[in-house]
Amino acid sequence: MNISEIKSERAGDSYYKIDHPSGLTVYVYPKEGYNSAYAIIGTKYGSVNTCFSLDGGEKITVPDGIAHYLEHKLFESEDGDAFARYAKTGASANAYTSFEKTCYLFSCTDKFDESFEILLDFVQSPYFTAETVAKEQGIIGQEIKMYDDSPDWRVMFNMLEKMYHHHPVKIDIAGTVESIAEITAEKLYQCYNTFYNLNNMALCVAGNVTVEQVLKTCDRMLKPCEKHTIENFFEDEPYEIVEPYVEQNFPVSVPLFNLGFKERAQKPLNETKLAHTDILLELLASSTSELYQKLMDDELINTSFTFELFEGPGYCSVIFGGESRAPKQAAEQIKQYIAEVKKNGLDKAEFESARKSVYGDVISSLNSVGSIANTVTSYHFNGNELFTYIDAVANATFEDVQNRLSEMLDVNNCTLSVVKNGEE
Amino acid sequence: MSNLKRTKLAEGVHFNSVSDNRFKTMLIEANFVMPLSAETASANALLVYVLSRSCREYPTYRALCKKLSSLYGAELSAASGKSGDRQLLTLTLTGIDDRYALDGESIAEQLSSLLCSVIFEPNLNGSAFLQAETDQERRQLLDDIDSEFNDKRVYAIGQMIKNMCSDEVFGIKRYGTAEQVKSLTPEDLYAAWQNVLRTAQLEIMYVGDSEPDKALSVFAEAFSGIEREPHKVETEVIAKAENVKRITDEMDVSQSKLVMGFRGERALPDKKAYASQLMAAVLGGTATSKLFCNVREKQSLCYYCAARYDKTKGIMIIDSGVEGENIEKLERGIMKEIGDLKNGEITDFELEATKLAVINSYYSSNDTVRGIDTWYMNRIFEGEIKSIEEMAERVNAVTKEEIIEAAKLLTLDTVYVLKNK
Repeated sequence: MNISEIKSERAGDSYYKIDHPSGLTVYVYPKEGYNSAYAIIGTKYGSVNTCFSLDGGEKITVPDGIAHYLEHKLFESEDGDAFARYAKTGASANAYTSFEKTCYLFSCTDKFDESFEILLDFVQSPYFTAETVAKEQGIIGQEIKMYDDSPDWRVMFNMLEKMYHHHPVKIDIAGTVESIAEITAEKLYQCYNTFYNLNNMALCVAGNVTVEQVLKTCDRMLKPCEKHTIENFFEDEPYEIVEPYVEQNFPVSVPLFNLGFKERAQKPLNETKLAHTDILLELLASSTSELYQKLMDDELINTSFTFELFEGPGYCSVIFGGESRAPKQAAEQIKQYIAEVKKNGLDKAEFESARKSVYGDVISSLNSVGSIANTVTSYHFNGNELFTYIDAVANATFEDVQNRLSEMLDVNNCTLSVVKNGEE
Repeated sequence: MSNLKRTKLAEGVHFNSVSDNRFKTMLIEANFVMPLSAETASANALLVYVLSRSCREYPTYRALCKKLSSLYGAELSAASGKSGDRQLLTLTLTGIDDRYALDGESIAEQLSSLLCSVIFEPNLNGSAFLQAETDQERRQLLDDIDSEFNDKRVYAIGQMIKNMCSDEVFGIKRYGTAEQVKSLTPEDLYAAWQNVLRTAQLEIMYVGDSEPDKALSVFAEAFSGIEREPHKVETEVIAKAENVKRITDEMDVSQSKLVMGFRGERALPDKKAYASQLMAAVLGGTATSKLFCNVREKQSLCYYCAARYDKTKGIMIIDSGVEGENIEKLERGIMKEIGDLKNGEITDFELEATKLAVINSYYSSNDTVRGIDTWYMNRIFEGEIKSIEEMAERVNAVTKEEIIEAAKLLTLDTVYVLKNK
């Protein structure tokens, strides 16, 4: 078994990467003096993986929302559900499905080994029957409707629909009430057997634990998996957006907007490109920036304003958004500003301030065992490593970030989505 | 035994600190406690936001942001909250610990004096705040107030409380009303500022590795010239509901919301309020609670159905999102679980699982800077500074009989429904 230590002088931390013989990649990030431990196991399987093949077999298409449905159902096994088992250890357990991964996690301050065993056990023990699958329809149906009423969620998906021609990122993670009606126990097993192979998964434990302790339970609980080949199919996605504008009427008292710049999506950004992009976006749109200040002074945004790099398999975009009384003007001003800095160049002092800010954020994030475990897992699925990213932030130069700007944020390739009250 | 150091600086002003070297960040925070009142809530709320925008040394929002950014993305946040009949005005600064500064500068020291500056040396125009600053923050606050409506879960809970406590101080929102916010002048804010400095109970909290001595002395000096007449605030508790108020609003939404408000009779400083809080957790606070297992898992009626007890005010709120046609069925399902609890139906497993979950959350809070801050602030507001161990003991000591007794005291006061058209 190969155990390697990954160390950062800068952060004053180190963690371990273990290639477990079962096929699973295991990370252990001990935090001295902490009471709690946080464990997360994830599979590189999310809402976008709706068309795939296994070991060169036939192409399989499954209903929208099935990855999320599977996440709900995996908590149940033949002899009861995992929450009831966790209840005996006191661990706080949860799970989530995103566009590109599904993760199961718990945090605890006592009885770590027992809780860890529960996690590894239920994730490897699918149990789906017609009856248990049917029972979930009502619960997830209400989860979908809850999101249907969320203006933040709607404004983003409306934007994605007008940004992507084919890519399934534009489909709601939970699917629709209609699509989930097509989900059967058999289809759940098909997805499970494809994506929940330990070779396609990663585990990270952070906090009050040791490598030996984690491996002891892993050795006992993990069932070795044969490596298999998963191919995911995505229709070719053009560079161009679908439509530049979309709006929806909705019961809101402050309108919301998302302005998304569609980027070329190839492989996930590596640590260096990611660092340069994060500094660039901080420089352009954080509360310190000239743009933010101008938008505020003109009363076009409020403190709900956010920006993010939104990236996954086959999609990449930069999204600016928030509440605005005049979304179209806000979007126009953002585009204009970006066009100007592309022409005139960035400001050196602002670059320095943005670099420190991004650096401070990532160092701060190492306080939280939850944040560490989630980030290490996400980075793993993208082929990246956290401390390499921290060094890339610290070492970034003005020219790096200037160059990054020239490659992205095409003001002629963005979509504005607005959610507003119809009566206004 | 707690590891909190607490020093009195002036009448009603305390400096609290926790030294901890496990973290990469530090926090310094000022919590002003004021009586919640219809006359002053809006001015106090707007004041705390305006204070967080600038100060004499960094006279514009951008100048202040730049300063924070140069301190490795330090953050200054302001909040107006409510705990029982108290309004809490909070200014928080967080930043990375001195050990991680790339150029060896002391961040803790700079952040402490920055907090003092925004509190004591605001950017003034004679006996008034600046008009432009006031207007900018007024707009933000009005947007905040309006956007509560955007989140239907938050909105429905707010509507329930508004109706349930319409004749009580607790019914006042943490920012007062939009009308009042609109009418405030820069002079009003100046008066509010003076009033807060003179009459608020102030709790300063510091969590970090570096010694807090400097910060302590800066605050001590700042208060040495101010005459203090701090308020004492008590929360009104109505023991029982007389009859059930029912309010239904219709709206163009896909999911209906059901929010139920109960009187629970017990509130702090009555220690029995802790049993009431645990009772609510047994009912709907965890993934093994009665509501989760029955109305969600068995009956598939909803995705969430949560119960929580406000031990400052002595009320319990249950809220859920549901299909319009199932509202009555859900209400019956909830009332059945409460009825069962009143009749003594609680297993050892239910009680023990709830205690474990609650205690786990206590100990987890000790692993973040924010968690430590919140832990001690809550204890200070509750009137007893207890460590996690002591609070865990208290939870463990609660018996089944006490849970049942607490459930028996529940009376349904208000049912608010946001119904889809």
